[in-house]
Amino acid sequence: MSILQDIKNAVRSRSIHVAYVDVGSCNGCDIEVLACLAPRYDIEQYGIYVHNNPREADVLLVIGSVTPQWVDKLRDIWDKIPEPKVAVAIGNCPISGCVYARRGTLTSPPVEKYIPIAAQVPGCPPRPTEILNAILSVAPLIYKDYEEKQL
Amino acid sequence: MRSFIYYVREFLRPEWIRKFFSVKTAPLETPTYFKDYPALTGKECTGCFSCMMICPAPGAIAVLRKKDEWEPEVYPGHCIRCGLCVEACPEGVLSSGRILDLTGHDRTTFASWYHLEVDDNLCMRCGNCCVSCPVNRQIDPQLAGTGTSASDEVIMRIEGGRVRILHEEKCTGCKTCEENCPNRAIRVARMVEGVHLEEAEA
Repeated sequence: MSILQDIKNAVRSRSIHVAYVDVGSCNGCDIEVLACLAPRYDIEQYGIYVHNNPREADVLLVIGSVTPQWVDKLRDIWDKIPEPKVAVAIGNCPISGCVYARRGTLTSPPVEKYIPIAAQVPGCPPRPTEILNAILSVAPLIYKDYEEKQL
Repeated sequence: MRSFIYYVREFLRPEWIRKFFSVKTAPLETPTYFKDYPALTGKECTGCFSCMMICPAPGAIAVLRKKDEWEPEVYPGHCIRCGLCVEACPEGVLSSGRILDLTGHDRTTFASWYHLEVDDNLCMRCGNCCVSCPVNRQIDPQLAGTGTSASDEVIMRIEGGRVRILHEEKCTGCKTCEENCPNRAIRVARMVEGVHLEEAEA
């Protein structure tokens, strides 16, 4: 059991699959997530792969303050991700609503109201290194010895 | 054939194999000029609230009373790291990146005030704004329920059946009048102007 768990731990530490979803923001944070893929930051050298497909994702990056159209769809996406899974809020919008938290806007932050959030990366937008660090530090907490924790 | 052997030999070198499997770009360091969340420099805050006034993000900065002194606090989930509070502070309480160096070098600063505007088409002359205004109440405690006042020192009063703004410069930007206006006829606008100081002043 423990040998199998060790193999799983080793594989999971180098194979983190990421999906990101923008639930209504200015697209600044999307660009920072894309910058992680560029050669300067090169997210794949850490074994993080961006697929944008919830069915094969381990980590969901949630970007943006939640608009009414996204309330049920965000829950759907979260339910489609297989266990073990983790959601990371990127930017100020999912935390506080940022500049959209004003009178007369339709957004309803924070995103924790809809899905459980494991980590928050504040910033408007956050630096790509901050996003990278957040994924790298939150993933082992969830995936290490996942099966043993379930027992 | 020779080139094939050459390639196999090249790729079987232990050094090449080691580099192939352990390649990693250098860890990225945050540059020193990065405009991070404003940090306290240790200088004394006078509680002028310039930083709160200029902040464009809702709820990002608050100047709190801590025992006997004021201290600005930045909330990371709200702050957008624009650095305007650092520039606006006359005392240099906050610092972020090289903003303080640049403003010191360029001798730039901000001048700010509040502008009150009443839309006469929406205003129904109820006088709620004049009565609710905390500054008005302090200046003239006998301000009438209809918003008329005998004092010339109040910010605004009802005069001849309409709101007249007398002393805009006394407004503190609390927006109590905006909240109490039933028609949202009065608006408080935050005006900011970039100022280039003369060499003697700097």
